[in-house]
Amino acid sequence: MKWFLVLPTAALLSILMAPAADAAANDCHTCHSKKTIMNQGIHLYIDPLKYELTTHARIGCVSCHDNVTKRHPGDKIRPSRAKCQDCHAAVSAEYNQSMHGKYADCTDCHKPHAVKPLLAVSGRDINIQCAKCHEYAKTVKNHSKWLPQATLHIDALPCITCHTGSKNYVISMYMVKSVSGSSMGGVALASYEDLLPFLSTGEKVATLIDGDGDGAISLSELKKFNTSGKYRSLSLLGTMMPEVVTHNYEILDNRRDCTFCHASGPNAQQASDIAFPQQDGSYSRTPVEKGAILDILYGTPDFYMTGFTRNNTLSIIGALIAAGGLLVPILHGTLRFLTRNRRKEQ
Amino acid sequence: MSEGMTTEQIYMTPTPVRIWHWLNALGIVTLCITGIQIRFPEYANIFGTYKAAIKLHDVAGVTVSISFFLWIFYYLFVARSLVKLYVPNVEDIKRGLFTQAFFYFFYYFLGEKNPHTVSLDNKFNAIQKMSYLLIMFLFLPLVIASGLLLMNIAPLRGWIIMIGGIKFLVDAHYLIACSFFAFLCVHIYMATLGHTPFSHLRQMWTGWEEMESHPH
Repeated sequence: MKWFLVLPTAALLSILMAPAADAAANDCHTCHSKKTIMNQGIHLYIDPLKYELTTHARIGCVSCHDNVTKRHPGDKIRPSRAKCQDCHAAVSAEYNQSMHGKYADCTDCHKPHAVKPLLAVSGRDINIQCAKCHEYAKTVKNHSKWLPQATLHIDALPCITCHTGSKNYVISMYMVKSVSGSSMGGVALASYEDLLPFLSTGEKVATLIDGDGDGAISLSELKKFNTSGKYRSLSLLGTMMPEVVTHNYEILDNRRDCTFCHASGPNAQQASDIAFPQQDGSYSRTPVEKGAILDILYGTPDFYMTGFTRNNTLSIIGALIAAGGLLVPILHGTLRFLTRNRRKEQ
Repeated sequence: MSEGMTTEQIYMTPTPVRIWHWLNALGIVTLCITGIQIRFPEYANIFGTYKAAIKLHDVAGVTVSISFFLWIFYYLFVARSLVKLYVPNVEDIKRGLFTQAFFYFFYYFLGEKNPHTVSLDNKFNAIQKMSYLLIMFLFLPLVIASGLLLMNIAPLRGWIIMIGGIKFLVDAHYLIACSFFAFLCVHIYMATLGHTPFSHLRQMWTGWEEMESHPH
């Protein structure tokens, strides 16, 4: 083929193949998205809503199951399965070298037909994956040996925040609802369905706080949400998500030093977002105006990280109160010293 | 000492109260110092690690809380003098506070005599009564309650949200703690205004107060 024909041909092929992938996927979904297929094996059912959210949906079923023919399943050929490392070689190599590598396969944590990008999951979703092997009560007990308020840390943080190598973290808030007798001390993660009663028909969940719908949450919008009687049963809790996902699961000694997180000072990492639950079970993140984390009362009243998110104005007010106490002995003591002779005379 | 005056010893502070006082003092000083490291970890590393500061803060907080309840129990049910000693009467509010304030901030420097005479039944002057009442029945219970909630955030999250959120709780705890530090400074200084600079301090250690008295 002449060189000048290569590029147009490739472009034409990709255009022709994309609908083909869609068509192939549609063919597959005809059977595999029906729950009745579970009669032949639970694993054969692919939830179409969950699958559509995955990156894998873009490349289509036959990219991984490449020996499937048009005569499937009549041909009785067992569909092939691509190995994760065929595409994710670098991640796979990193993971296999980690202390986690020999205990769990990729698919033990990431279901290929339902895997979501980090931004579309909540910290709790991540910890649910971990809890499949690392039993919650046992994890709390083990961490309690060295970690103060272990339950609070494990409830508030995704495991990967401390057990993978991301250097920076993003403060991400999520909505909780008041309930009695929950494991989170009177609150539980609010689902899309929980938030529906607060929305008008067709309204996006983010508009609960992002009133003007500009895709960003200002301090005044946060204040309105936090002070509105309408949303009394809802609150925002915060967590720290790793900025970069790595797969080098390990026990990092520097995370045992509390100052790794708590001594960052109030000027560090003030960027935050709110993760709103979506109808399909994923989360959509809306950025929050810088400074909300440090606002004394209305920004994030239920998110505070000792040392890290202290409010500077309040620190100064406290210091002035303390200084006022110190001034009394200094001033009175000075006058007392200057008038000592008069008291002796008396 | 003025001419014609002698000193007499009065057993002013019984042993349980002295034990409580020094335990409380040690606890509050520990809470102030560890509290500085907890709020300002990037500036203050007094106890080696952040965890050590938090553990010590928790232990001191629980000690002060228990000693507070023992103090109330002692004064209510053993000594039965809580109201008499600590609650200001009408006279204290109408005149005592101003008279005592004028003495501390004016007449004291002129060398005049303290208008309040210490006795077993009237141990504290009006200003002392009022400040101890505020400290022991408002600030201390508030700082204990907020501290206990902060020690148990996970199980008590619902209560914390009901109160106004963790940030309100933390900031209230911090500001009350700063007020405690201010009180501590004034309290220690005022303790040197006795018959001699160390007479009140000695009294709080031995129980015996040395006082000036006119010979009969």
